[in-house]
Amino acid sequence: MPPKSSSSKEKDLADDDEVLQAVILADSFNKRFRPLTVGKPRCLLPICNATLLDWTFESLALAGVQEIFVICRSFADQVKAAIKDSKWSKPSSGLKIVPIVTAKETFSPGDAMRDIYTHGIITSDFVLVTGDLVSNVRIDEVVREHKARRRANKDTIMTMVVKESGARHRTRSRGDSGVFVLDSQTSECLHYEPVTGYPPTTVANIPREILAEHPEVELRNDLIDCSIDVCSVEVPSLFQDNFDYADIRRDFVYGVLTSDLLMKNIYCYVLKEGYAARVADTRSYDAVSKDILSRWTFPLVPDNNHPGGHAYEHLRGNKYIAKDNSVVLSRTCKIGSNTLIGAHTTIGPDASVHASVLGERCTVGARAVLRNAYVFDGAHIGAGAVVESAIVGAGARIGDGARVERGCLVGDGVVLGPGARLRKFARVSRRREKAGAIADGEDADDEEDSEVEEVEAHQDARALAPLIGEGSNAVVWPARYPHDEDEEEDGVESYSNQRLMRIGDNASDLELSDPGSVTESESDSGSESDASSLRLSRTSSQTSAPTPSAASLHTLQQSASLAEFDAEAAASLERAFAEGHKVDDAAVELKTLRMAANVPLRRVREAVVTALVERVRIVDGAGAQRKEIADLVARWGALIDRIGGIDPVETVEILQYHCAQSARLPLFGQLLAALYQADLVEEDDIRAWHAQPVAKGAHLKPGPLKEGVEKCWAVGRVMIAQFDEQETDSEESEEGSGEEGEDED
Amino acid sequence: MAPELQSAGYRAVEVLAGKLRRRQVVGSREAALETVLVLRQVVSRAQFSNITQLVAIIRDVGRRLSEAQPKEHTVGNIVRKVLHNIREEYNTATQGTALGTSSVRNVYSISKFVLQGQPRKHHVAPKSEATASLKENDPNDPDSFARGIKPVLMEAIQDVLDELETVYDNVSKNARDHIHSDEIILTIGHSKTVEAFLKAAAHNRNFTVIVAETGPSYSGHEMARSLSAAGISTFLVPDSSIFAIMSRVNKVLLGAHAILANGGMFAICGSLLAASAARAHSTPVVVCAGQFKLTPLWNLYHEYGALDFADPSSVLGFEEGDLVDKVDVVNPYYDYVGPELVDVLITNDGDHPPSSVYRLIKESYDDEDHEF
Repeated sequence: MPPKSSSSKEKDLADDDEVLQAVILADSFNKRFRPLTVGKPRCLLPICNATLLDWTFESLALAGVQEIFVICRSFADQVKAAIKDSKWSKPSSGLKIVPIVTAKETFSPGDAMRDIYTHGIITSDFVLVTGDLVSNVRIDEVVREHKARRRANKDTIMTMVVKESGARHRTRSRGDSGVFVLDSQTSECLHYEPVTGYPPTTVANIPREILAEHPEVELRNDLIDCSIDVCSVEVPSLFQDNFDYADIRRDFVYGVLTSDLLMKNIYCYVLKEGYAARVADTRSYDAVSKDILSRWTFPLVPDNNHPGGHAYEHLRGNKYIAKDNSVVLSRTCKIGSNTLIGAHTTIGPDASVHASVLGERCTVGARAVLRNAYVFDGAHIGAGAVVESAIVGAGARIGDGARVERGCLVGDGVVLGPGARLRKFARVSRRREKAGAIADGEDADDEEDSEVEEVEAHQDARALAPLIGEGSNAVVWPARYPHDEDEEEDGVESYSNQRLMRIGDNASDLELSDPGSVTESESDSGSESDASSLRLSRTSSQTSAPTPSAASLHTLQQSASLAEFDAEAAASLERAFAEGHKVDDAAVELKTLRMAANVPLRRVREAVVTALVERVRIVDGAGAQRKEIADLVARWGALIDRIGGIDPVETVEILQYHCAQSARLPLFGQLLAALYQADLVEEDDIRAWHAQPVAKGAHLKPGPLKEGVEKCWAVGRVMIAQFDEQETDSEESEEGSGEEGEDED
Repeated sequence: MAPELQSAGYRAVEVLAGKLRRRQVVGSREAALETVLVLRQVVSRAQFSNITQLVAIIRDVGRRLSEAQPKEHTVGNIVRKVLHNIREEYNTATQGTALGTSSVRNVYSISKFVLQGQPRKHHVAPKSEATASLKENDPNDPDSFARGIKPVLMEAIQDVLDELETVYDNVSKNARDHIHSDEIILTIGHSKTVEAFLKAAAHNRNFTVIVAETGPSYSGHEMARSLSAAGISTFLVPDSSIFAIMSRVNKVLLGAHAILANGGMFAICGSLLAASAARAHSTPVVVCAGQFKLTPLWNLYHEYGALDFADPSSVLGFEEGDLVDKVDVVNPYYDYVGPELVDVLITNDGDHPPSSVYRLIKESYDDEDHEF
């Protein structure tokens, strides 16, 4: 009797409101956590002793999500196993979790979205998050708001969740953030401008139309981007259509908002309460850990609803000690505030642990000092060792008296000998055993393998000996990859920008030490780019902006795109002529090209006229030539008026200038006549053209061009003279003009 | 324990545990109500052939729920209460076998002693349907015991539910005896019990209430709004002026989150301030609470975490980016108010001094249930 009633009840529920779906992008698509992520995916790194994936699941469960798709790429097997073993896959959790493995060629969130599209799993509005989210936000509220907006306006495709913070908040990424332009009333996101920390972004360009259309806009550079997006079903298909979208913010949001064609709206949901942040890099790992320990994520805190299911006791000063009495604290050890100590951990006499997180089964030797350190499960810190603002991987052994300086990342299972002295920001991983390497190779990416191999190949054992100590199995990673330098000089992943995302790096030397930095912006960059972006006055848009270099860069870009357009258009017309397309088809193709390259209409007209003129076959005999031209114009002339606007005067002018420059100057008269004949150009148009000073070539310097232009103008004059003698029969007049043209030459 | 129990009713347990853990069910009465409903579901679907099995099932549910949220003490209290009632019903139903202990214990009740003067022998009328044929561990029909006793059990659970639903009325029944005309009452926070109590008193008496704002939640604002809407003359004062204003106050009225066996209690943050100020001025402190808040714990106040620290955002905004890194903010939700600061507890079953709480706890719960 009981199962029956319950199942029918559930069915009712399912019918009533549709299932809220979520997609987790479990892959990070970057390498900021290396070498910690050599053997496992980032989403399985622990933060406050629960994996990032667990935190993400808990955040989603809190929000009432029922169905979750986990998109995994690297180490997909590990992710799948972790999901299977976790409490989330039990039926009692109320979640349905489906791991989806994407191809190794998925290099960006955009690729993953295209993969989602091809899988066709999304049936309604869904929540898109990254696999490193820590949040206590009621996302269902955002979803409800999104759905209400969508009912009003079908083109609302996305709602981004952002959290108000100061521009200098510890949790806000300094290296990779964005300026949001919001409508104050509707909180519609009108524009998004990505911001990099280094080189400092000092100027944000805001399209002028936004200011014209919206009476009140907010420019926000104080928002934490939580990477929680409530998306509509068409978002994956938009990614599919725009195959070059890689990043969700930099490409997709920016692209959608700046596009004239898509006409889609994106909204922001500015969180007033609640906490949401992602662990995108080691710096935010530090910040989010601190936020969790100081209870910003309440009710998601270690002593209440810990995602890993551990139980901690909360003590004065935000100290959390595992509850099962398995922690051994020596009588003389000092435990500072904001500290988390996992079960079965032992801390030796006179050791001092401050603002740190210790995993389970760790041992900290006597007199060891841990400050802002994150020590994963099973690590051993030797007696008298010092670990400061660093992350120590699972099972690592730090020898007695060793020093792990600020910003170091020590990979899983690394052994550092006694007295090792790691330099600041050093990254070390375990040297792989040769036999194991082959077996592992199947699992890991080829690319990753090669990278590790490269690192291993570049070890200088003698120089490293004092760094890693005796009996160590460590390999030290280079501070920066030589081949990366030129590739990604100004991107988000550039070395200097990455520094802003490193744990323990205050980057105070960044502006000073780098000789290549731009001088003018230096004073600003220290205080974060917010000051400078606010420098924009409300009325100015692109005009306010750029430094000379930027301006020249802009024109350079533009000319490059113009040249590209010319080539494309010529090729397109060539194809159309050769393959005998319809005029309409050719016109559509030209329009698309125009949109893509964003060129003025005149440019397209020029391209068409040029192509027509060059298409004319030269034959002997005036009559045959005339027929040739008439045929061509009859077949293709209509295209001139189909490109998106009709302006015969301009057409004639373009024709004139093109002929003036080319060897086909003698054909001008005949062409003009043919156009007139085909009704593409009226008598009045020719008169209007003729009356223009441009047509006379008055502004031109003397030279071959001017001569050509003048000759054409003369042809026109003859033609008009003939119009004036209208009484004569029109055919003759054309013949006359045509012959005149030939004679002129 | 029988594996089939994991399914049906247990789904509801997991759902409630999740909600408690995620703080989607908060407040002592809310949590208590949800717990009773879940227990009713569990008992109605449970399969057992003797009382020990049933008790084990309920204890298991209680353990899960109270582990999910140890800060909502009423969850555990309700489970204990239900266990107590079930045992009592069982003893009544099976009469003779276990008549001794439980019924005798019921007789020597302090509250009844105070109210009625002399302990009297109780004669519980045997319930007709239960007496029919209760046979435990019947090998032929293992469900017969469950079938026989379930109606009685459902009634026992219904009693608990009724008690919860009528708790405000019962607490405020004697309000007019406690509040006199032209008194000035100080209260803090937005306790539903206190609100009902004051509104009930306002039917007969004309008095003034001073409500402290109760930062950082500022629930005092709502309280003041609700009271003045009911026609009670109400003042809203900042928390800082509680001590200054105390000399004019006749009585301090507090709500409670949980009442411990020593007579101390957990109440909304600021209660300790009000109670201490009242002690300094020798102003009586009256606590209004239902008996479901009586918690068989003595030393909870030794635990730092018991004060339930919430997120700092209501004290220091997250947008104060620079400060967040440098300042540690603690935002406890409860205060522990010791028994020496409380003068009387007004419950839905009589008025009691803090010193007799232990006795009430002994009466309401069975000793073996203190730990699940």
